Parts: sequence; structure tokens; C-alpha cells
Amino acid sequence: MSTKITVIEQLKNEPKNLGLKALLILGLIGVGILGVVYIDYNGFTEFGLTVMWNISKSIFTPNTALLFGEGKNGVLFLITETAAIAFLGTIIGTIVSIPIAFLSSRNIVPGWMANIGVAFITVVRTFPAVVYGLMFIRVTGPGAFTGVLTLAVASVGMISKLFIEVIEDLDPGIIEALDAAGCNGIQKVQYGIVPQLMGNFASTAIYRFEINVKYATILGMVGAGGIGAPLIFAITAYRWADTGALLIGLIIFVLIVEYGSAKIRKKLATGE
Amino acid sequence: MIKFEGVVKTYPNGVQALKGVDLSIEQGEFVCIIGLSGAGKSTLLRSINQMHQITGGKLTVDDVDVSTLKGKELRRFRRNIGMVFQSFNLVKRTTVIKNVLAARVADMPLWKSLLGLYAKQDKIIALEALDQVGILEKAYSRADQLSGGQQQRVALARTVAQQPKIILADEPVASLDPVTSQQVMSDFVKINKALNITVIANMHHVDIALKYANRIIGVKEGKIVFDGPSLKVTNDILKEIYGRELSDDDLMGA
Amino acid sequence: MDKIKKFFLPKPIVLTNGKVVQPAMSPMVYVIPILLVMFFYSTSLTGFALGTLINRGSRFFDILVKMFPPNFGYFTKVWTPMVVTLVMSIVGTLAGAAFSIPAAYLSSENMVKSPLIKFIVRSIMSVLRTIPLLVLVILFLNMFGAGAFTGMISLGVFTFTIMTKMFYELIDTCDMGPFEAIESSGASRVKAFWTGIMPQLWGQYISILLYNFEMNIRNAAILGYVGAGGIGILLNDRLGWRAYPEVAMILLVLMVSVYLIESLSRYIRKRLL
Repeated sequence: MSTKITVIEQLKNEPKNLGLKALLILGLIGVGILGVVYIDYNGFTEFGLTVMWNISKSIFTPNTALLFGEGKNGVLFLITETAAIAFLGTIIGTIVSIPIAFLSSRNIVPGWMANIGVAFITVVRTFPAVVYGLMFIRVTGPGAFTGVLTLAVASVGMISKLFIEVIEDLDPGIIEALDAAGCNGIQKVQYGIVPQLMGNFASTAIYRFEINVKYATILGMVGAGGIGAPLIFAITAYRWADTGALLIGLIIFVLIVEYGSAKIRKKLATGE
Repeated sequence: MIKFEGVVKTYPNGVQALKGVDLSIEQGEFVCIIGLSGAGKSTLLRSINQMHQITGGKLTVDDVDVSTLKGKELRRFRRNIGMVFQSFNLVKRTTVIKNVLAARVADMPLWKSLLGLYAKQDKIIALEALDQVGILEKAYSRADQLSGGQQQRVALARTVAQQPKIILADEPVASLDPVTSQQVMSDFVKINKALNITVIANMHHVDIALKYANRIIGVKEGKIVFDGPSLKVTNDILKEIYGRELSDDDLMGA
Repeated sequence: MDKIKKFFLPKPIVLTNGKVVQPAMSPMVYVIPILLVMFFYSTSLTGFALGTLINRGSRFFDILVKMFPPNFGYFTKVWTPMVVTLVMSIVGTLAGAAFSIPAAYLSSENMVKSPLIKFIVRSIMSVLRTIPLLVLVILFLNMFGAGAFTGMISLGVFTFTIMTKMFYELIDTCDMGPFEAIESSGASRVKAFWTGIMPQLWGQYISILLYNFEMNIRNAAILGYVGAGGIGILLNDRLGWRAYPEVAMILLVLMVSVYLIESLSRYIRKRLL
């Protein structure tokens, strides 16, 4: 073969990707410079290590009266309240998301309508949950109710975005088949759409519940109920035994939620 | 020289895959191992480079007792033994040349391998290996854009770039079509002859094994039941190895 | 008990050949009552009051209305904190992402032979992952004082814990063939991982990195609330003063930034996968 390439020729043909490499290196240098300019290092306080040591130690020396305590200050109540906030926020967010998602899906409504819906969802999604929290607190005052509303609104953005993806992936063949079998509108929804959507919707909602549980602990900070506020007050007041009790509760609770969520979602995905 | 003396392999679940194997293979031989699936072919092959640890007997490669090797010594030993797999075992998302260069990382300092800084010499070795299997022009294509036969050649080139003394091939053509299989097997023969590398291959298809190997080893239930030149393999011998008449499934129809 | 079960079972279907098929009990039969009980229990626990929402819900929109028109002149004060937020998110995410690779390696079923090491690393990572971002921030505030440095470290550690899990799940499901091949050539497990496994996963790795980056930009607003630098401080301050047109400007800048970053990361992801 006359066109056969030699090893040395091929060695020279190696794509150098110089552009990409330069972009990567320049990017890193740029970030480094920006970091040095905009992020001030204020020195290290050794007291921080003491705090870290005390927090770590506190998990093994918790205030058992608080940990197993009943009533409104007990860890069990705070965890239940956090779970309730996250649960209600997720349920309301899911219910609100369903019509929004259907009205923003290209295979259900005309394109212009879907565009408006998607734009609305994008706007809702961009705001951090804390912003909604700070706004709702001026509506309903501090407390668990504010937490519920905040998480509900914050959930709508993500849930409806994921729902739209599921709806737009619907297999139209099934509807056609039901059409051919002479099903009416309600039957088409019941046998053609619901079975396709249910699993995915449920999976999305459970996933968001997991996220909401974590948010619920943060929202405590803006006064929206749950275990977050007592935990942060305990740490900032250096009440280590209380910190330990609250942290143990939180860690176990989040681990259970993560485990359960993964299990159920796996079941939904693989069908048992 | 590879020497098995009463080699036994028992898996943790109690299955005895090798039941006292005696065997010696000289440098530069082309050996095919045939037998039913589950007869112990793969275990036999993988015990040579200690991808499977033997549990009894003695296995030496060039007078080194391989079962005593650990850590760094084992890794240094493995550099002399290349391996080719049924499923090619390439990184499909990356280029052919990078797959071949992977054979060189064993010899590189860790930091260089982390940054992917291959020496020019390594690149030349890799390209020459690709040239040897006839796909030099594909060096910068992504591996998943190549056909099955070409991918197996990349895998062979990766092994050659390792500059080994022995190549172990575990069902190298079982997932290829007959025509491609023949081409890949010819490449094995070419490398065996040109570089005096010992080739030991497990083969599912008897006819391919007989056509390309100088020596056939028949394995049945963890024991060697035949060992001799391929020309001496008769139907009766095959019947003994397989415990039944050969079926179409055992032949590639080449 | 059997009677109750029978009551919930769907009607048997009689086939034309006379055989009777009993469809399985739908899980809805117990899922819906459980959800309902949880719903009503939660509403009473959280003091959920639809009345309050209807009566006072308009206040939420009052705030929205007061935001218009946004104070565009305020932009000059907004953009520096926004850049700080971006920079601390980028550096934090990159650092957390980098450390997550060795941690994921040590947590992976495929890579670590010793079940003990894997168990220890995974347990530590699981516990770290449950710690809320805010607790991390308070911890690092005690070490590094108020400012963006604390925010950066907090986001870094937070990203590290999340990405480690996401990444070891990827390692556990990837193709081990190349790893086996490279290990058989005499390379160490670390080298075989880097040359045989990582090239399969770079795309997905960058994808989860971008996902975490997007999340961190939103989280950065929380950080400011406790004094860890960036746009959150400003947001909290202006909300406290009820300076809504200025709040609107901050939110607008945040929105545009998040939108641009999401578009960019969507573009990169499309190119990668």
C-alpha cells in the first residue's frame, strides 16, 4: 500500500489539543487570581479546633435528658417536626407541580405555552430556599408553618422541571394502542398515562423529600421551625452536651431517610 | 519456561478448578487450551500471572516461584506477561493510542501516570505495536468507533506495547465473527513468530485452535487429559476431552 | 383478615376460556391511607392553617409588588459580592471535587479489597454527609472568622461529602475490564484505576461537579446569612431593612448568574455525554 502511514508520521499527527489545555490552565490561573483578590484569609484561630473537638466529642457524650426527652424540647419531637415540615412541603410542592408540569410539556400544550411555563419554573428555581423563607416569615410569622410553605415553593421549581422531563418522555404508542382499543379519555389517562408516570413521579417526590429534610434543618436558621435552630443555638452557646444530643438525632434521622429513599426509589425503578 | 508441578486451585466456595496440573511450556511456543466451559481453562491461564492465586503445588515462570510473589515483586513479574481478554477490556470512551499507552504506566513514576505524561519513547513503542497489528492509522480514533476485530487488535497492541515474554489470551476471538477471528489469530501467530513471544490461548472453538496452535492442551474437570502437537489431535481425543461428540457450537466453521 | 384482604383485591378477571385471573393487590391500597394519616398528622404538628395562608398570603405578593421597580442603580454595590460568591463557590467546589476522588476510591466496592477500610471510610463519609451546611459554616467561622474564606472552606467540605458518594456509586457500576487488563500488566491498583477507570468516568465526574457547583451558588446565599461572605450578607441586610427594590436588584443579579451558569453547564454536559 502506497498510502501506508509510518510510525514517525503518525507520531507527528498526534492531536495536541493545545486550545483546550491552554483554556484549562488559563481558567485555573484566573480562578486562582480571583481567589487571591476577592477571598481574604483572616488567619486561623486555634479556638476553632477546640470547637471542632468539642462537637466531635459531644456525639459520644450527649445530654441524654434532651436526647430521650419528651415534650416540645425533646430531640424526638424536634425530629418529628422536621420530618413533618419536609413531608408537607414535599406533598404540597408535588401537588402544585403536577398541573404546572403538564401545562409546560411540549407534547401536551402548544409550544408557546410550554415556553411560558418553563420560563416561570426557571425563575422559581433560581431563588435560594432561604429567600423564600425570609419572605414567608413576613407572611406567617416564625414557626413550622413558614418552613412548610418555604419548602413547598422551593420544591416546585425542581419537581416540575423533572416532571416535565418524564411527561415529555411519555410513550405515545401506548395511547395510540388504547385509542385503537376504543378507550375513552378517562380510560386513556387511567391505563395509558398514569402507569407510565406514577413510578417516576413518586421517585422524584421521594428524592425531593430527602433534599427537603436537609433544607428543613437549614431553614431553622431563619426561624422556620425544626431541629435546625436549636442545634445552631446549642453550638453558638457552646452547650456541647445539647449539641451532641441534637446531632445524634439529626444524623440517625438523615441516615434513615437516605437509606429508605434509596431503597424505595430502587424498588420503583426496577419494579420490585 | 513455564512449569506447573501438581498445581491445585480451590476457590473459597470449595470448587476445585485445578486438580493437580503438570505442564511445561517453552519460550516461543504457541499453545491453545481447549475444553468444555468450566473445565478450568480460565483458571489455568490466570494462575500463570497470579490473577488467580494457586492453592497448592508449584508454578514457576523462568525459575521464579510465582505463588511466593507479592506486592511490588508480583507487579514487576506481571510486566513480562501480557493478557488479552474475550471482551477486549478497552476503555471505550478514549482513543486507541491512549489504550495502548496504558500498557506503559506500570513502568512510569506515579506522578507522570497521573498527569498522563507519556515519554516520546513510550509513544513510539505504542505506535509500533499498533503498526504490528495493522491499525496504525486508527491511532487517534476513539476505541468505540472501531469494529470488534479492530478493538481486539488494539487490545493485542496494548499487550505487545508492554513488551512481554508471554501473552495469555482468554478466549480472544469468542466474541468475533469467523472472518475477523481468523485475522486476529493470524496477528497472534505473526507476533508469536516475529518477537518470539510465548502465546497461550484458551479457545472455545476447536477448529480455530487446531488451525493456529502448534500445541494443544486438552483440559477436563481440572486435569490435563491431552497434551501434544495439534497435528496429532484426532476425533477420538476430542471426544475424550469433551466427553461427547463435537457439536456445531464447538466449531467456528472456519 | 382474609375478608379484609379480599375486599381490597381488584375484581378477578374471567378469561374467555373460563379461567379466572386475580390481579395483584395495588400498592396504592396501603400507600394512600399511610400518606393521608401522615398528611393530617403533619398539618396539625406544623400548625398548617389554610385560613392564615388565604388571609395573609397576599402579604407575600405585597413584598413582590414592593420590589418593583428594582433599584437598578444598586447594581454597583451588588456585583462585587456576587463575584465573591462566584469565586468562593468555584474554588470550594473544585477543591471538594478534587478530594472526593481519593475518598471515592477508598469507599468503592470495586477498588478496595479490604471490607474493613471500605466500611470505615464509608461510615465516616455517611456521618459527615448528614451534617447540615450551616453547622459546617459555624464550625469554620470559629476557625477562620467571618468572611468569604470560611464560606469557601464550608462549601468545599460540603461538596466533598456529597461528591464522594455520587462518585463511588459511579465507580461501583463502571466497566472493570480495563482495570483488570492494566492491573494484569503489572501496574499498581492506583495506576490501573487512574488509566482504566477514570477515563470512563471523566464525563460523568464533570457532570456531577457542575451539578454541585449550581447547588453551591444557591447555597452561597445561605452562607451570607451567618456571615460567611458573598451576596448572602447583602441580601440578608437589605431584607432586614425592608429595602425591597434593592432586594429585587440582588435577586435579579443572582437570577441572571444562576441562569447563565446553568446554561453553560447544560452546554458542557451535552458536549461531554
